[in-house]
Amino acid sequence: MTDLTSVAKADLKPAILSIFSICCSLIAGGIILLVIGKNPVVYFGLLLARGLGSSLGVTESIIKMAPLLIISAGLLPCFSAGLWNIGAEGQFLVGAMLAGWAAPLLAARLPCPLYLAAVALLGIAGGMAWILLPAMLKARYDINEIITTLMMSWVAISLVTWLVKGPINDLSTVPAQTTLIPLKYRMPMIPCTRIHIGLIIGLAGLIGMHWLIRRTTVGYQFRVMAANKNAARHAGMNIARLTVYSLLISGGLAGLAGVSDVLAIKGLFQGNWNPQYAMAAIPLVFLARLNGWAVIPLAFFFSVLGVGGEFVARELGVPVFFVHVLEGLTLLFFAVSEYFEKKWEHQ
Amino acid sequence: MNSLIESALLTTVIATTIRGTTPILLAALGDTYVERSGILNLGIEGMMVGGAFASFVVALKLNNLVCGFLAAGAVGLALGFLFAVLTITLRVNQIVVGLGLTIFAHSMSSFLHRVIFGNQFPILFDAGGTNAIPLLSGIPLVGQAVFNQHWLVYVAFLLVPAFYILMYKTRFGLRIRAVGESPWAADSSGVDVNRIRYVAILMGGLMASLAGAFLALGDLAFFVPDMIMGRGYIAIVVVMMGKWNPAKVCLGALLFGFAMALTSALQVAGINLSPDFILMMPYLVVIIALILFVRSTDLPSSLCIPYNRGED
Repeated sequence: MTDLTSVAKADLKPAILSIFSICCSLIAGGIILLVIGKNPVVYFGLLLARGLGSSLGVTESIIKMAPLLIISAGLLPCFSAGLWNIGAEGQFLVGAMLAGWAAPLLAARLPCPLYLAAVALLGIAGGMAWILLPAMLKARYDINEIITTLMMSWVAISLVTWLVKGPINDLSTVPAQTTLIPLKYRMPMIPCTRIHIGLIIGLAGLIGMHWLIRRTTVGYQFRVMAANKNAARHAGMNIARLTVYSLLISGGLAGLAGVSDVLAIKGLFQGNWNPQYAMAAIPLVFLARLNGWAVIPLAFFFSVLGVGGEFVARELGVPVFFVHVLEGLTLLFFAVSEYFEKKWEHQ
Repeated sequence: MNSLIESALLTTVIATTIRGTTPILLAALGDTYVERSGILNLGIEGMMVGGAFASFVVALKLNNLVCGFLAAGAVGLALGFLFAVLTITLRVNQIVVGLGLTIFAHSMSSFLHRVIFGNQFPILFDAGGTNAIPLLSGIPLVGQAVFNQHWLVYVAFLLVPAFYILMYKTRFGLRIRAVGESPWAADSSGVDVNRIRYVAILMGGLMASLAGAFLALGDLAFFVPDMIMGRGYIAIVVVMMGKWNPAKVCLGALLFGFAMALTSALQVAGINLSPDFILMMPYLVVIIALILFVRSTDLPSSLCIPYNRGED
């Protein structure tokens, strides 16, 4: 009995701290709204009403969870291994670009399930390719992966813009974009809903990664490596290989998120399209304290913010960027909550 | 005729190299002290955006460039103070705080820009411009390129020897180096570790925001939220390449300034490359520079480790 309560307590404390950081960021955000002369109660009320109050809002929010879940699933193993893939944005764009280019070419030539698998694999490969260099440099020379993944992200932004204006541009349309994928070749829906199976991929990936980190040898090695690299090395673990594995998983899933968004929602790839999901996924994974299950409600919350924020932007004149402000604040308050956690542990 | 075009091209390349170097150099000089004192500040990018935005808005609204630069300084110090409180006093993870600060400052600038200007991107007409130095600017070829620049360019390059002396010839510099290598030893010989780190971070914040203000008020005369384009992170790499030595940091910054100038010179010279393709160059140069010059074994021993008196 005491065992159960202590387990519950151990799970409850991080949850309380995460909710604390979200509440603080909402309060700080409210103060910012007051300063620019908007009513925060009206704003947040309307945001929740739009994101949660109607079946349309809820469906939109659930659909928007898919990319967040898939990217977060990828961030889990690398953050658990103490590695920082900050360039998920670039890996996402490369995956999305490859999907936009390959899907119209493959659609008519392959049977449907095979076609979907091929495009998905291509996107995963693209995301992995985009993180391969940072991963190798980290493994071989211990070169800071934060900087290299970020730089690769900037390279990706320019590269996909260049490709979509030139080599993979569909010349029959005026804006620079790839050929529109016919509706029947889009990602299938979950039966009886408007929600595409990206959600299921995201949930499966997330739970799979959670299991990998907590229940397998490789996952255990990731965690040892994060806690103490030298200890891990002395215990005979292959740090270089673990580094490359965890980063490749991360890049591959970010690429897959790009495929899912292009195949299910956009239907094509445009050069200036950059939804910046990584900006939400990074705070999300920290708030969840690298716990796959905790990512799910948090991802829902962040996508309610995103969907509601977009609706309210039009109605109240509060720019969409405000949602990103909240994400940045959440990350800062999460850092503060870390301090309180340490303090409690000492008492 | 041909040689006339060539010399004009050369002047342009030198001038754009120097102009492109300046923001990276300003941010990197400040960050030299931050990193040397054992702090990894990933918030530099955000501080640059914040500085650029604050300087632009204040200069436009008050119609006074000096007030713009002062506003940038204030924002840089404020963001630096926030970073210092979180990472030094509360000892929380520097990487998380740095990323959070960058996301916050970047989106806050985009947000406020939209609130203040709507979808417009006004131009500040009296910004930019150059201050020619008499006599020196008359030197053929290099005169116009080197000695006809914005005043902040001269300040940035004059700060290099100043920061070098501060780092290697003064007690403060010695303390900065001691605190980054072994804070326990510094503490036991009576150095206030946390105060030194606070000062370093505030310096870094001030310099980063000035770098942003240079882009907005000195170089471009307008503000768009994405204008920093990773220069803050490039500055961090330049500092690592320069091994925390202001003189070598200056050389590193010049390399990136040259990479940027060369890409625009290629266009001027009529080599037909897509601008999107050219935009990738500086980031690829960063990765190559990291491979060639930076080994993690060279980092200050206490980089990224919070100092906790009486523990560890």
